[in-house]
Amino acid sequence: MSISFESLTPQSGVVTVTGRLDQTQSPELEEVLDDLLDQGYIRLIVDLGDVSYVNSGGLRCLVTGWRRANAADGDLVLCELTPRVKEVFAIVGFENVFSIFSNCGAARQAWQEQ
Amino acid sequence: MITERALTIPGRYDRVSDACQFVSEGAQLAGFDTDEIFRIELACDEACTNVIQHAYRGENRGDIRVSWQIKEREFVIVIRDKGQGFDPDSVPQPDIPEGPEDLEELKIGGLGLHFMRTLMDQVHFSSDQVEGNKLVMIKYRSESTVP
Repeated sequence: MSISFESLTPQSGVVTVTGRLDQTQSPELEEVLDDLLDQGYIRLIVDLGDVSYVNSGGLRCLVTGWRRANAADGDLVLCELTPRVKEVFAIVGFENVFSIFSNCGAARQAWQEQ
Repeated sequence: MITERALTIPGRYDRVSDACQFVSEGAQLAGFDTDEIFRIELACDEACTNVIQHAYRGENRGDIRVSWQIKEREFVIVIRDKGQGFDPDSVPQPDIPEGPEDLEELKIGGLGLHFMRTLMDQVHFSSDQVEGNKLVMIKYRSESTVP
């Protein structure tokens, strides 16, 4: 798994995740999200377009990030979910709760207009 | 055609993908399509992760034996461990959120069991002091998957 970050504003940015988001890899993403939130990036777009696989550990990590962002009056939104990742979200109803954008351009625009 | 195989892995998160790969090879032989193989692999992932988290309460505390069998109408996965037994019925069903307000309070324990029960056609647990824990997960082979 690889993770990269692009800052959009002093409070917002895009986290791009590539690979498998499972029990082995999700602690690394959780650490990155924690660090960014600590730095004041409270509005985060997580680009999952190149994530081929997610399990319950990956979902927990995203929920934890979402909770922390919301507690700081920010938000964590997702974009570009593949059909398989979408299916995993649907099994646990998470597609109803996260803001999910079909493409990251729309998510970036929504952030920049705020 | 090989119809039955077994693999033992150490109870570590970085070896769970080996078990999943092993099971997905069996599912492929059983004739499942890539979508179904993905679901079977995810159920296996959640099962092995649960063993490490709940039966062994941590990594490197015991082995996990994974086997699969292709039957005429079923693909059967058996996962055994020697960890602490637990009653799956005591694990509450996770709350399935309907909106963002539910995510705030959501208890996210029990997701692994929920995945297994949703992705597979049958899931059975048993626990024995000598034999250890045994999880059986069954996926039905449809007309199209039976060669």
